Amino acid sequence: MDTIAFLPIAPEIVLLVGALLVLMTEVTLSLGHRIWAVISGAAIALCLGFSVLQWLRVDELGPQLNFTTRGVPTVSNPMVVMDHFSAFAGIALFVVAGLAMLSAWRLISSLQTRGAEFVALFLIAVAGLHLMAISSNLVLLFIGLETASIGLYVVAGFTRDQVRSDEAAMKYFLLGSFASAIFVYGVALAFASTGSTTIYGVSGIPSFLANTVVLEPGILLIAVGLIIVGLGFKVSSAPFHQWAPDVYQGAPAAAVPMMAAGVKIAGFAALARILTSAFPALIDDWAPAIAAIATLSIVVGTLLAIAQTDLKRMLAYSGVAHSGFIMTALVAGDGGIPALWFYLATYAVQLVGAFAVVAVVSGPRSDRSPFESYHGLASRAPVLAGLLALFMLGLGGFPLTTGFVGKLSVFSAAIDAGYLWLAILAMVVSVAGLFFYLRVIVLMYFTEPVLAEAPGTATASPQMDAASRVALGAAAAVTLGLGLIPWPLLELVRHALPL
Amino acid sequence: MPVLALLVVVPVLGALVLLLLPRRRPELLLPVAVLVSMVPVAIAAYLLVVFETGDAGFQFTERVLWYQPWDISWNVGIDGISLLLVALTAVLFPLSLLASKSITSNLRLYLVAMLVLETGLLGVFVALDLVLFFVFFEMTLVPMYLLIGLWGSGNRVYAAVKFFLYTSLGSALMLIAIISLGIIAGNQTGGVTFDFVELLDIELTSTQQFWLFLGFGIAFAIKVPLFPFHTWLPDAHTEAPTAGSVLLAGVLLKLGTYGFVRFNLTLFPQASVDLAPWLVALAVIGIIYGAAVAVVQPDLKRLVAYSSVSHLGFIVLGTFALTTQGLQGGVIQMVNHGLTTGALFLLVGMLYDRTHTRQIDEYGGVAAVMPVLAGFFLFTTFASAGLPGLNGFIGEFHVLIGSYPTFPVHAIVATAGVVLAAIYLLWAYERVFTGAIDRPENRRLPDLDLRETVILVPLAVLIIFLGVYPKPAMDRIEPSVEAILDRIEAVTDHRVPEFGRMDQVEIAAVEGEG
Repeated sequence: MDTIAFLPIAPEIVLLVGALLVLMTEVTLSLGHRIWAVISGAAIALCLGFSVLQWLRVDELGPQLNFTTRGVPTVSNPMVVMDHFSAFAGIALFVVAGLAMLSAWRLISSLQTRGAEFVALFLIAVAGLHLMAISSNLVLLFIGLETASIGLYVVAGFTRDQVRSDEAAMKYFLLGSFASAIFVYGVALAFASTGSTTIYGVSGIPSFLANTVVLEPGILLIAVGLIIVGLGFKVSSAPFHQWAPDVYQGAPAAAVPMMAAGVKIAGFAALARILTSAFPALIDDWAPAIAAIATLSIVVGTLLAIAQTDLKRMLAYSGVAHSGFIMTALVAGDGGIPALWFYLATYAVQLVGAFAVVAVVSGPRSDRSPFESYHGLASRAPVLAGLLALFMLGLGGFPLTTGFVGKLSVFSAAIDAGYLWLAILAMVVSVAGLFFYLRVIVLMYFTEPVLAEAPGTATASPQMDAASRVALGAAAAVTLGLGLIPWPLLELVRHALPL
Repeated sequence: MPVLALLVVVPVLGALVLLLLPRRRPELLLPVAVLVSMVPVAIAAYLLVVFETGDAGFQFTERVLWYQPWDISWNVGIDGISLLLVALTAVLFPLSLLASKSITSNLRLYLVAMLVLETGLLGVFVALDLVLFFVFFEMTLVPMYLLIGLWGSGNRVYAAVKFFLYTSLGSALMLIAIISLGIIAGNQTGGVTFDFVELLDIELTSTQQFWLFLGFGIAFAIKVPLFPFHTWLPDAHTEAPTAGSVLLAGVLLKLGTYGFVRFNLTLFPQASVDLAPWLVALAVIGIIYGAAVAVVQPDLKRLVAYSSVSHLGFIVLGTFALTTQGLQGGVIQMVNHGLTTGALFLLVGMLYDRTHTRQIDEYGGVAAVMPVLAGFFLFTTFASAGLPGLNGFIGEFHVLIGSYPTFPVHAIVATAGVVLAAIYLLWAYERVFTGAIDRPENRRLPDLDLRETVILVPLAVLIIFLGVYPKPAMDRIEPSVEAILDRIEAVTDHRVPEFGRMDQVEIAAVEGEG
C-alpha cells in the first residue's frame, strides 16, 4: 500500500531542483544574477502555489500521512504528513522566504559568482525548514533541522572578509550544532522509552508516541525536555538565546531575516506539532515548562533589548521576547495553535520588514547598525522612516497593526487555558518593550541627523533598490492591512491545526 | 444613514486628502483641515437636535459584525453622556486647528496627526464594543505622542515618551481585563462577546468584579489622571503645543472619566460600590493637592495643568458619590472643564506666541496693552473658579451637593478646592495682567487679532450658555445617569439618597400631566 504522493514533498523537490539549477547555470553559462532571480523567484512562487494546493487538497480529502514505511512490527511509520498545519507552515514560510530573498538581492547581486552559492544555500535552507514543519517522524525532522541549519551557518558567514561575520558563523555553527545534538539526544531517548520515533502512529492517531507502551516514563519526560531545549535554542528563547545577538549583528543584514524569521516559523511549527500531537497526554508536564521559558524569554528579551544601542542587536533581543510571546500561546496546547500561527506569521513579516530597512540604511553587508545611523532618518528618507516606524509599532503590538491582533489572540489563548498570570506578566512587560520600539521612532523623528564619518555606517539619504522596495511594500501592506482587517488570516489559522 | 460611522470616518478621510494635496500649495493645508473638522461639528449639531431627550438607551446605533468567532463588531451608539462629549470634541478641534498658526515645520504631518486624533477621540465616545473601544483608545496615543514630541517645547521627548508609556501600561491591564471579560461571557452564554450591551447581562462574582474593575480602573485612573497616577500630566501638558494641550486637557483626560462612568459603574456595580470610598478619597486628595501645587507654580502653563488635576478630581468625586446629582455634575463638569481649560490653554498659548515665555514673573501689567486678551482671561478664570452664572459653577455645585449625602466629609474638604481655585487663578491673573508694566519688551505686545477672537468667542458663548441655561444639556444626561444608578441599585445594596430622586419623580409627574 505504499503509494508515493508527490504533492506533500513538492516544495522540497522544487527548491532542491532550483538550487541545483542556479549552481549549474552559473558554472556552465555564467549568466549573472538575473537568471538566479528568475530561477529562485519561480521556485519560491511554485512552492507557495504547491502549499496552497496542499491546503485545498486537505480541504477535499482530509489530512494525509505519506511515505509510510514498515518499521517495528505493528508500527507503521509515516514520514511526512500533509494537513492544514503543514500547508499553512508552507504558505507562511514561502512568503517570508520570498520577502527575505528580495531584501537580500542587493547583497546577492554585489557578490558576483558567489551570489549563486548564496541563492543555492538559501533555497536549500528553506527546503530544510519546510521539511521540519511537515515531518511526522522525529528523525526526518532532525534531518530537516540540520539541512536548514548548515545552509544558514554558511549564509551567516557569507561576508567572510568581515571579522564579525566570521565570528557570527562560527558561533552559530558551534552553538547550533550543540543544540542539534541535544535535540537528537531527546529523540533518541524518546525512542528508548517508546520504541518509536513517529509523531503519528497507525492510521494517524495523535499522541501515539506517548500512548504506546511506555517502557520508561521518566526517560520520556527527559526526552521531551531535551526536545524543548533543542528547538528552544533554534527559536532563540531564553535561556537559550545567547547566540542570537552576536549572530544577528555579525551576519550580513540581508541574511538575517531568514535566520530570524524563517527559523522561528519552522522551529515553532516543529515544537507545536511535537508537543501537541506526540505528547498531548503529557501537557501537564510540559506546559509549565513552556510557561517558564516564555516568562523568562519575555522578561530577559525585553530588559536586554532596552539596553541596546544597535538596531540589529535590539531586534535580536526583541526576538527573544517575541518567542516568549509565541510560547505563551503554546501553553494552551491545541487550542493555542491558531493564535501561535497568527502571531508567528505576522511577526515574521514585521521582522523581515524591519531588517529590510536595516539592510537599506546600513548597507546589506554591514555588520553594525548603530542607532546613530537612524538619527533624523525622517528628514533624510521619510518613506523608510515611516516604514520602520510602522514595523516598530507592529512589533510593539500597537492596535491597527498585526502585532496587536497577534497579542490579542495569544493572550486570549493563554487566559482561556488558565494562564492568567502569564498573560498579565507578558502584557505588562510588553509595555516596557514599547520603550525601545518608541526610541527608534524618537531617533528617526525627533532628533537631528548625525552624519557619521566612519565608512559603512550611514549614508546621508539611503536609497531603496527595486527589490527591497517590493519587499518593504509587501511587508508594510501585510502589517497594516491585516492589522485593520485581520479576519481572513484569523479564519485561515483557525483551521491550520495539526492532524 | 450611518451617521456615527460618518462622524468617525470623516476626519481620517480628511487626513488622507491632506496627504494628497500638492506640495507646492502649503497654504491650502490649514484651511482644508479646518474645513474637514467642521464636518463633525455639523454632524454633532445634527445629533444634538435629533437626539431623543427622554430615552436612556443608546441611539443612532449601528452594528455590523466584523469577526464572528470573537463576536467583534462595528458597534456604535450614543446616549446622553457620549452625545455631549462628542459635541465637545467636535467643537474643540476646529478651534485648536485655528490656534495652530505658529506651527510651521512639517505642517502636513501635524494636521494629519490632529485629524487622526479626532477620529480616535470620537470613536472612543461612540464605541459600544469593548475591542473597538480599546482600538480607538489606543489610536489616540500615537498622534498625541507625535504632537508632543515633534511640535512641543523644552523637554518634549521626555514628556512624550512618559505620556506614551504611562498610558500604555494602563491600556495593557485594560486589554487583559477586556479579554477576560469576553471569555467569562463566553463561558456563561456559549459564545465570546465584547458587545457592551450584552456584557451587561452576564453575572460576575464580586471577586471577578473587583479584579476587572481594577484592570479597567487603573487605565482610566492614569488617563484622568487620578492622584497618584498624575505625574505624566504636568510634563505632557506643559511641553505640548497649544493645540495639544487644549485637546489633552479638553478631551483626552475625559476618556478616563468617561470610561469610569460608561464601563466601571455599569459592568462592575458591586465593585464600584465597594471601591467608591477609595476612589472618592483619591479624588479629594487630587483636588487639594492639584490646587495646592498650582498655587505655587511659576510657570503659567504648568499652573493650568495642575488645575486640571484638581478639576478632574471633582469629576471623579461626583461620579463615585453614586448619587444622581453627583453623577450628573460629574458628566456636565467633563464638558465644562473641556471648555474652560481649553480656553485657558488657548489664552496661555496666545500669550506665549507673543512673548515666548510661560514664566509668570516675566509678565506683569500686560492688561494695559492687551485689554481684550486680559478680559477673556479673567472671564475664563471666573468660569474655571466656579463663579455662579458661568458653566463651572453648575458642575461643581452639582458635584458638591451630590456627594454630600454619601460622603459628607469629602464634600466639605473638596469645597476647599473651589476656594483654592479662586486663589491660584486670580493670583496668577493679578501677577500677569494687573499693575504697571515693569518689562520694557512687554510694552508693545499686540492685542488679540481677529483670528484669535474668532477662536475664543465660541468658547465664551458656550461657557455663558451652559452657565445660564444648562437645562438642555442636563436633560440629555439625566436619563442615562438614572439608568446607570438604577442598575447599581438593582444589583447592589447601595441606595441612591432620596434627595434627588423625589425631584425627578415630581418632574416626571408634572411632565406626564402636561
